[in-house]
Amino acid sequence: MIRWLSLLLLAVFSIGVHAAERTLVLYNWAEYMPKSVLRQFTKETGIKVRYSTYDNNEAMLAKLKTVEKSGGYDLVVPSSYIVERMRAQDMLLALDKSQLPNLKNIDPNLLDQPYDPGNTYSVPYLWGSSGIAVDTKKIDPSTIHAWADLWRPEYKGKLMLLDDMREVMGVALRVLGYSVNSRDPEQIRAAYAKLEELRPSVKVFNAESPKSVMLSGEVAIGQMYNGEAYMAAQENPRIQFIYPKEGPMLWVDNLVIPKTARHVPEAHAFINFVLRPDIAKTIAEDIGYTSPNTAARALMSKKLRENRTANPTTEDTAGGEFQSDVGDALSLYEELWSKLKTSE
Amino acid sequence: MTDKTVFKRFAIGIIAIWLVLFALVPNLMVIIASFMTQGESEFIVWTPSISSYQRMLDPLYLQVFWNSFYLSAFTTVLCLLIGYPFAYLIARAGPKARPILLLLVIVPFWTSSLVRTYAMIIILNANGLLNSTLLGLGLINEPLQILYTDTAVIAGLVYTLLPFMVLPLYAAIEKLDWRLVEAARDLGARKVRTFVSVIIPLTMPGIVAGSMLVFLPGLGMFYIADFLGGSKTTLIGNLIQRQFLSARDWPFGSAASVTLTVTMGVMIWIYLLSAKRANAKVEV
Repeated sequence: MIRWLSLLLLAVFSIGVHAAERTLVLYNWAEYMPKSVLRQFTKETGIKVRYSTYDNNEAMLAKLKTVEKSGGYDLVVPSSYIVERMRAQDMLLALDKSQLPNLKNIDPNLLDQPYDPGNTYSVPYLWGSSGIAVDTKKIDPSTIHAWADLWRPEYKGKLMLLDDMREVMGVALRVLGYSVNSRDPEQIRAAYAKLEELRPSVKVFNAESPKSVMLSGEVAIGQMYNGEAYMAAQENPRIQFIYPKEGPMLWVDNLVIPKTARHVPEAHAFINFVLRPDIAKTIAEDIGYTSPNTAARALMSKKLRENRTANPTTEDTAGGEFQSDVGDALSLYEELWSKLKTSE
Repeated sequence: MTDKTVFKRFAIGIIAIWLVLFALVPNLMVIIASFMTQGESEFIVWTPSISSYQRMLDPLYLQVFWNSFYLSAFTTVLCLLIGYPFAYLIARAGPKARPILLLLVIVPFWTSSLVRTYAMIIILNANGLLNSTLLGLGLINEPLQILYTDTAVIAGLVYTLLPFMVLPLYAAIEKLDWRLVEAARDLGARKVRTFVSVIIPLTMPGIVAGSMLVFLPGLGMFYIADFLGGSKTTLIGNLIQRQFLSARDWPFGSAASVTLTVTMGVMIWIYLLSAKRANAKVEV
């Protein structure tokens, strides 16, 4: 409601904005950008930011397509697999790297990924992973090393999985040694069969707030995002996060400029601003996910910097894969996911 | 006089525009979309097809429908069993107590049902209010496992939907002509017989109305099953939502939605028929 009101207010005020004034229309995930960063940007550059938010990738994509002709958004923040889809549909503007000198601050391990080779269209904003969280009062964490450990019979009724199709299917694909982005129907079916074995162990599927499920004592072990696990450990140090040896699931949200953008120089200016170490540090600390900005990490407190849940080492994420689009295989994934959740 | 008609036209016009814009047009769009095909870069491709409806007949999706209907029907029966005596007692309470009791039935509506569902999670979970109280009193040694079971889902649905059963039942029972009940007793009917042969038939419109008001929303309340049952079953609501938000299959999502709407429509039609018949009987 407040979001709509603020949108409305923005719309009303923007009527009075003169052409001479420089503006930027930013469309971002909800609660994904500290207000102070936007204020500082306007103060330093004089560029006004019109800010609106979305709750999921698909909704953002639908909105972007409906305003395609009139143009509207100058900067959006899709996840990696959506970047791939938008790239394939020719919706993105190639970035002018000469306007982005701060790109050098980004961890090279996060650049040049298959979803956007050479980062022609996208720059990583924040990233994270999902691994295994354990309540150490109930389970000895030294016995857990791999995704495959979740299949142990003693965890029956004590297990949580993320309520996310690609994450859960990804675990089974990894355990079987396949890619999390597999498009091979046989591999996908094999992963489903593997999950059917795990299904009776599952007490709850949750992606909204997996940390509160574990904190409430309902489950002893489960799949969790590293950001959630970090926050859970702040509240209860008994909760430990483990990077599975098959490799965690990785996601990254990226800044991209749609082809229909009207304020292209301003959008570049904002990307470069966000890549500045002090700004990237503020964002990571405020939002709670991992910054891809190596220079920003150096500015963080030693305690946070060395916390492997929040800031994994390359060894931790070894074997991990970023989610990319699965194309036509998506409908098979969907069907099997519904099936998994319908069988008793 | 003319002022009145101007106002009348204005008021009706506004409502008509509202309904056309926000009810008719969106529903027509959904119906049209359900007969189209899924596309790779566009959400809908304008190729007419009934394949989305054929897919609905897949045993998997029939099971999804069955799960939803079963859950909703079970909730309706429980609400009726709890709600009937409840409404009866309110209707028979003194004229001073009655408005207060009715107010108490309505009070939960002041809070969003989403918030109330979260409250139930906090009460029911392993370290929650219920378990810590029982543990503290020494009545149990281990926390009860209630959250993320079918029991929790049913409890949540009954809790949320009970007022929708109680209010129409109350209206029906309150209207009841008690002289007919007295007549039945005078003619020698026992209490059970009076209840079955006189009170139930006379309050049937309330029973049917309450059941519809519980059953139909119950079909759509997938978030309660998700929150309290741990998202372990796919219900129609989940299915529709997923087609739009992650599966990118708008035609199939629309077809599922139309099927649900048509099913509900048929049920309301049956209700209207039975209400007519019940009324006809009363008049005889």
